[in-house]
Amino acid sequence: MEQILKATQLSKYFYQKKALDKVDINIEKGKIYGILGPNGGGKSTFLKIAAGLLKPSQGEITIDNEKPGVYTKSIVSYLPEINYLYKWMKIKDAVNFFKDLYADFDAEKARESLKFMELEEEEKVTTLSKGMMGRLKLTLALSREAKLYLLDEPLNGIDPISREKIITSILDSYSEKASILICSHLIYYIEKLLDYVFFLSEGRIILSGNAEDLRNKRGMSIDKLFQEVF
Amino acid sequence: MITLLKYEIYRRWIWLVLRYAALIIIGAILLNRISTPALQYKFLGESTGKFIFASLVIFVIIIIEGINMLKEDLFEDCGYLTFTIPKKGRTILASKLVLLFMQLVLWTSITVGFGSIFYSKLPYREMVQIKSQVDFSFLPTVLFILTAFFNLVLMIHFSLTLTKTLLVNKKYSSLLSLGIFFFLAYLIEKVYYGPFLNQIRYISLHYGIEAKINFLSGGYTAVFLNIILAAIFFTATSYLLENKINI
Repeated sequence: MEQILKATQLSKYFYQKKALDKVDINIEKGKIYGILGPNGGGKSTFLKIAAGLLKPSQGEITIDNEKPGVYTKSIVSYLPEINYLYKWMKIKDAVNFFKDLYADFDAEKARESLKFMELEEEEKVTTLSKGMMGRLKLTLALSREAKLYLLDEPLNGIDPISREKIITSILDSYSEKASILICSHLIYYIEKLLDYVFFLSEGRIILSGNAEDLRNKRGMSIDKLFQEVF
Repeated sequence: MITLLKYEIYRRWIWLVLRYAALIIIGAILLNRISTPALQYKFLGESTGKFIFASLVIFVIIIIEGINMLKEDLFEDCGYLTFTIPKKGRTILASKLVLLFMQLVLWTSITVGFGSIFYSKLPYREMVQIKSQVDFSFLPTVLFILTAFFNLVLMIHFSLTLTKTLLVNKKYSSLLSLGIFFFLAYLIEKVYYGPFLNQIRYISLHYGIEAKINFLSGGYTAVFLNIILAAIFFTATSYLLENKINI
């Protein structure tokens, strides 16, 4: 199977603290992966390195055989946990911004998704609730025809109705050409999406495997397994 | 770069319009005060002074904004958006500098425009007197000021970017940026401009010219040195933005 992301012995230090410690992760095309773990376990750090926002301290990471840079940013769609949109933007400005700056952005798909997510184009991003902001960020990220989607805590702080919409959107966006990497500690909601999981704690992978195999082998759901491991 | 420039303008267009509209309105009001011959000489000095002050305030705002354009992206959450766009570091930096240059051109045009009108209101005798006191070459001086301005902004941009490369948390970033900036300013003064000014002094003494030597005495050579320095800072900052910063 062709790999889209390969991390080898990847480490990231913040002064004395090891955020990632010799992590090996391979992501194949056409699958949905989950990096699961408690807060502060290194999940977001890994995604930020893959998105090109942080530089690794040691080890190597390649996406489509290239180190993170201008090319990888053109094929990776990153959804951060924070509200990263410019404060001056209305929703329609955000859509136009993505259309202008990402060649793979599908504005029509974004507009359809906005309707599904019940978001008005004229609304200012600063007036959106946390749930609405989460839905908007996901709309923008998933409206790109990217090769790799990096979703950092897409369900964090989101109300149950929005959660369902977000999960439906992720499933709708799935294609065999693209891979999705989701970081979350809300396993219960995303478990059904995942083909493969990595359990990350204190910067290290403590367990990994095919989600179905793990469920069969351990005789419990990934959510229960998560609770047992952490 | 044009797309990024478009958004740089778009995100702050209201402030841009307000800023220059305010300067034009202030200039027009002050000119109106001296429009009648009876009041022309009474308020000319005061009106000119007030206009220069207003113009300087706008200039300071332009510099602060020029610095903040990159600082916001480096230290605030919107950096997650700016630095995941598939654009080179030099493109991101250039879009900000082009907007700064456009602002500078606009500010200069308005200031010189109104300045000329105020100047034309002076009595002929004073006009001649002022002209005789201006002893610098116009073009190299303008080019020197322009390049020195960009050097200053680029040096601050470099200091901020280097800070973001070395430090991840924001706590001490302002302090470190200031430290880097003053260290660079000292270093450049000592090893870059210092020997050049000494050379001018030496040549002046050699030809028996006793004049106060400053950067403007360097003419086009000083402009050239500024351009080299700006190119170094631009390249270094672009490299750090693309390859080294931690957002």
